[in-house]
Amino acid sequence: MSATSTPIVEIRNVHKSFGALKALNNVSLSMNLGEKVVIIGPSGSGKSTLLRSINKLETVDSGTIIVDGHNIMDPNTNINKLRMELGMVFQSFNLFPHKTVLENLTLAPIKLKGMPKDEANSIALKLLDKVGIKEKAHVYPSKLSGGQQQRVAIARALAMSPKIMLFDEPTSALDPEMIGEVLDVMVTLAREGMTMAVVTHEMGFAREVADRVVFMDHGTIIEQGTPAHFFQSPEHERTKLFLSQIL
Amino acid sequence: MRETRTIDVGEGAAIPSKSDWGLFNAWAISFVGALAAIIYLVCFEPTPYKRLLFYLADGVVITFQVTFMSIISACCIGLVVGMGRVSKNKAINLVASTYVEIIRGIPLLVQLFYIYYALGRFLNVHDLAAAVIAMSVCYGAYMGEVFRAGITAIDKGQTEAARSLGFNGKQTMFLVILPQAWRTILPPVGNEFIALLKDTSLVSILAVSDLLRRGREFSSETFLYFETYTLVALVYLVITLLLSKGVSIMEARLSHYVRH
Repeated sequence: MSATSTPIVEIRNVHKSFGALKALNNVSLSMNLGEKVVIIGPSGSGKSTLLRSINKLETVDSGTIIVDGHNIMDPNTNINKLRMELGMVFQSFNLFPHKTVLENLTLAPIKLKGMPKDEANSIALKLLDKVGIKEKAHVYPSKLSGGQQQRVAIARALAMSPKIMLFDEPTSALDPEMIGEVLDVMVTLAREGMTMAVVTHEMGFAREVADRVVFMDHGTIIEQGTPAHFFQSPEHERTKLFLSQIL
Repeated sequence: MRETRTIDVGEGAAIPSKSDWGLFNAWAISFVGALAAIIYLVCFEPTPYKRLLFYLADGVVITFQVTFMSIISACCIGLVVGMGRVSKNKAINLVASTYVEIIRGIPLLVQLFYIYYALGRFLNVHDLAAAVIAMSVCYGAYMGEVFRAGITAIDKGQTEAARSLGFNGKQTMFLVILPQAWRTILPPVGNEFIALLKDTSLVSILAVSDLLRRGREFSSETFLYFETYTLVALVYLVITLLLSKGVSIMEARLSHYVRH
């Protein structure tokens, strides 16, 4: 099929600076449909910036980013419409505190897709069931634990039936005992064939799920490859050093 | 530039928090005291207080009208100004900021005179309308600052979450940011309401027969200055305290989604 051979995300020669700091320095990366890419690296290496530039939460200074055939740097591209195809999960969950869990899931489908409320509700309940939190549908997010909130956040992103899911350190703000429940949901999602880009420090997850692991440092991609290559025979000294520190 | 996430509370009566809703608190003592004083004076010293109270009633209605209409339009202006102050569009931002600077730099009384007479000279506007417009233009600027503070106090992650789902800037503001900002905005907005109510007494200098002006009219006819202003003060106190109670009830209702 041609869909799997043409990249759904293509990042070419991207640069981004925050003042004097070069967050992204000539980065190129492409992702195919169905592929799971895990981006790792020390903090400040630009991995979150790279992920956030895919849905234009960060605007890069130069280079090209093509998502699902649309150049997001082109001012004529409707970025709001494109973002509906890109689910995003944040480190700090960012659920809407003034909405119940169910409303968090249905807000975007109802308002943006014009979905009837009944249909949105039934889809939302199915998704909540999938992330194992259906019984909390009518409570407010402040009553949930961090792990539960993050699972709701994943379900909220899925409610828009995105083509790609972006995860920005989804477990970094969680207590250790809650990391597993969130990773389980992400593993299930990966098994179902979702295209995923994940920034994480969870090496177990990278090893288990990733088709490709990308290692970044100082705003550049140092090395990328399959988990087997990456964890067993990394080529670069910097990768080896990083792995020795983290494993 | 990093915004501090606090909203400073302006002038105006303190809004009682839920924890001091008991019998003996500042609000209850002031309110019951003022009400009891009015009832005592009217019942036991009907001359002049009973006549005076009836005389002031018309003024109370006008004061309410000016307050209510000014609150509504000041809120509308404030919302527009507040959103303008956080706008990324530089022109809109500049216009809103300049408006706030100018209004905050001129005393309310001077503004009242200015707008009132300017409107009277160039447009034939009714006295009451001119007073309301002047109050709204002024309080719109203060309200705008409160709205701005409330909007910027909402975590940036909320905007990012909404935008990442595909909402545009306007939808994000009205569906996600403002519904949350209300809760933080309400105490300072309530204080602005109360301050506005009290400042409506300034319109008595214009040809608007509000509570204070009715009092002045009565006292200049009867020379009962002490009696008149005693009652005027008590009536203002009762109204202000009622409004502050209303705001605190609304505040308690709006915070239903917060843990506790």
